[in-house]
Amino acid sequence: MLQAHSFLWNYLWVAPNLLVFALGILLWKRGFSRILPLFLAFAILTPIGDLATFLADVIPSVTPETFWRLFWVELLLESMLKFLVIGEVFSRVFSPYPSIGRLGKVLVSGFGAVLVFVAAAMAGFAKGDSVIHIIATAHLLEQTVFIIESGLIIFLFVFAAYFHLSWDRLSFGILFGLGISSCEHLATWAIIANTSPSEHVRTLFAFLNMAAYHAAVLIWFYYLLVPGKAPKKSTIRLPETNLAVWNREVERLLHQ
Amino acid sequence: MTLAIFLVVFAVITLFVILRVTVSRSLRHRNANLPGIEPLDVEAFRNLVNPLENEYLHRRLSSAEFRRVQRERLRAAAAYVRVAGRNATVLVAIGQAALAAGDDKTAEAARQLVDNALLLRRNTSFALLRINLAIAWPSLGSSAAPVVLGYERLNGCAMLLGRLQNPAVPVRISSAS
Repeated sequence: MLQAHSFLWNYLWVAPNLLVFALGILLWKRGFSRILPLFLAFAILTPIGDLATFLADVIPSVTPETFWRLFWVELLLESMLKFLVIGEVFSRVFSPYPSIGRLGKVLVSGFGAVLVFVAAAMAGFAKGDSVIHIIATAHLLEQTVFIIESGLIIFLFVFAAYFHLSWDRLSFGILFGLGISSCEHLATWAIIANTSPSEHVRTLFAFLNMAAYHAAVLIWFYYLLVPGKAPKKSTIRLPETNLAVWNREVERLLHQ
Repeated sequence: MTLAIFLVVFAVITLFVILRVTVSRSLRHRNANLPGIEPLDVEAFRNLVNPLENEYLHRRLSSAEFRRVQRERLRAAAAYVRVAGRNATVLVAIGQAALAAGDDKTAEAARQLVDNALLLRRNTSFALLRINLAIAWPSLGSSAAPVVLGYERLNGCAMLLGRLQNPAVPVRISSAS
């Protein structure tokens, strides 16, 4: 069962892509193209690339070299779209707050630059897992992309948590799914790219990667399609006792 | 191998942070109780961060004594700044809840409150950094004055929101006229 090209393998490769494509179409029909245009582009374009790679894998006439070239193109396209989606979420979370929006932009740009530098250095120090150049560099590129992606995601979560910002359901769901998937992918690609594991272990990691992406897709379905609970009216009020304390301080100021 | 271990540890920490934020978000949705606003003596706080007071102490005290006194004053200022930061966090939550539930006027007051509270939270972070540096080098100065200004502005916003949300409760800003 846990072998390449088994039923489970094919299911885990194809099903999440079909699901995310269906999610993209559903969201587009519901008018989300104005709210989340970049996530929509990600949801529609990424499965096309991933399914093309799957077909290249199963069609016997496709040479390994062609497969890996396609894999590279698909990886670059998917990575670019994911970074755009993270940017979109960042903008949705921080643009309503001008007082920290600018600080957030400066910090995320600086942190992003540091991540690119660190990821490039780590790729430079990695020994590579294959003698075939195109395969080894593809795995290193995966590691590089997931270092930057996980770093940006953790930055957004920590920055928003520090300021106690409330996330809207859509932004949170997208970043939560992306975060879970990217952490798992980073761990597996770091092991694959740096330790040259056996074929069996690689296959197990491939299963794990596909399962994590499947979980991320289900998370997106839940957060994007299931409506959240409506906020209770006036759940939190300024407590009178606290206002009295505040008033006392202001009075003290006025009497100085 | 070391690189792989380092990256796996980083991935696990990232996953832990994400799950922790998710759990705390879900708990916050279920439980709307917030910690109260801690009282803060704004005038004492203002005195502590007043550069004129610093200059006066510098003139009157010997260098060694000034450094000792200044460190004590900076530690006290840091405690005030922390309280201001915590109060700002509570007001962010109050403002955000009012944003979702209120009418236009209340929503506008809530937006202003949230924005000012976030600005104050940001300033308290920078001020704490400066204060900690100043504790190491007392001649640097703390630059915590924006925190006092922000806190005073926040007072106004909080009271306006309180009045809009609960007009029945008289909100006094002065006991004498």
